Amino acid sequence: MRAGAGRGVRPSASATLLVRAALAVYPPSWRARYGDEVRALLDDSGGGAAAAGGLAVRALPAWFWPSRHLYDRTDPSIRMRASLATVLIAASMLAGLGLVFAQLTQLQGYRPAGHPVIGWCYTVFDAALAFSALAAAGGGLPLWLLMLRRAHRDLRPRDSASLLAPVIAPAVYLLALIMTVRSVRGADGVSPWWFLAVTLAGFAAAGIAAAGPGVALRRMQPRGSALHLATVAAALVAAVMLVGTAAIVVAVVGLCLWAPSFAGYHDVTVPGIYLILVVAAAAVTAVSAARGTRAAFAKPGSRHT
Amino acid sequence: MHATGTAKRCPPDPSAPEEGKVRDKLNGWADPPLLVLASLAGEPKHGYAITQDVAETMGVRLSAGTLYAVIARLEARGLIEPLESDDRRRPYRITAAGAQALAEQSERMSRVASLARQRLSANLGWAGA
Repeated sequence: MRAGAGRGVRPSASATLLVRAALAVYPPSWRARYGDEVRALLDDSGGGAAAAGGLAVRALPAWFWPSRHLYDRTDPSIRMRASLATVLIAASMLAGLGLVFAQLTQLQGYRPAGHPVIGWCYTVFDAALAFSALAAAGGGLPLWLLMLRRAHRDLRPRDSASLLAPVIAPAVYLLALIMTVRSVRGADGVSPWWFLAVTLAGFAAAGIAAAGPGVALRRMQPRGSALHLATVAAALVAAVMLVGTAAIVVAVVGLCLWAPSFAGYHDVTVPGIYLILVVAAAAVTAVSAARGTRAAFAKPGSRHT
Repeated sequence: MHATGTAKRCPPDPSAPEEGKVRDKLNGWADPPLLVLASLAGEPKHGYAITQDVAETMGVRLSAGTLYAVIARLEARGLIEPLESDDRRRPYRITAAGAQALAEQSERMSRVASLARQRLSANLGWAGA
């Protein structure tokens, strides 16, 4: 075997920091498996900013085409819990982006004359949002109640608090929203800056609400039929959200093409950035839900991702 | 297997700048998974040793990102496997499936190379390097 004779060049502190930053953007499982080896290689070869940059670029395919051997092959529940946690976050962000879309288009009552497609998109999006909320509640509730009972029984206040985040965070946000809007509302509603502030606060609340159960899933490691049901429900939510995403994309592109005088649709920069975020959230939701579902239906002992 | 991108050729001969430029363009065709398999066919090696071997014997410099993307893919497909290691430099060795894949690919490349030489010789009067 060839010995590990490196050049022995001690990398600078800034180079080490860059490599750590580049590795930080990789999936946790990839980092856990190869992180030390990559650091050793770059220590040996004296990698600098270019090497760290090249490393960071390769993180993207690692997310989109994850290596199947990096996940537990014998216990699908590990994959299901990880997928559930990811889908919770990504689907929450997607729902938030969808609500922003609804607030800025259909709730303004705007439908371009001669282009019924926009109206159909509003209907499809509404139906997708309602159906996905029902699927999430129906499929996730048994697991949530099971975990809540266990956390209560085993005196795990931190896990109880994490599990209650989806109830507490939105309630606190809505209360704060109502109070804020009442105090800052003018004759024409709230100003754009206030709208931006409450929107960002909404995303923060959605993030906290979604992260809570994810943390609890990681700590409590539930398994069994409730976990299977929640995973399948997550797949259903993801599939329906993809339909809702398609409706958003068609509606936004349609507004840019057919109604450039409406709101800010004459400039494609903001709608373009918005669509990139929507598609990214939808992609993460779909990929993670697909991997979780594959694990849920994997035969015992078979390989899955 | 297909090329994964950021493999770089070692600097070309500065005395032939134009030839070097053309060669650089063609170097994007280097197939990093094949290079890694060929390197490991000799003996098990860790990441740095693979990059050194590939650079010295095949003239291609693999970046850390490319190398570990390739290692992850080859390992997932069972073409290479990690060996036990006491430190961070984990060595890899080629598996039987990897050796088979490398042999098949080498045979295919050999046929292409032979055909290319024949046609270059017959049509362009190229006598070889």
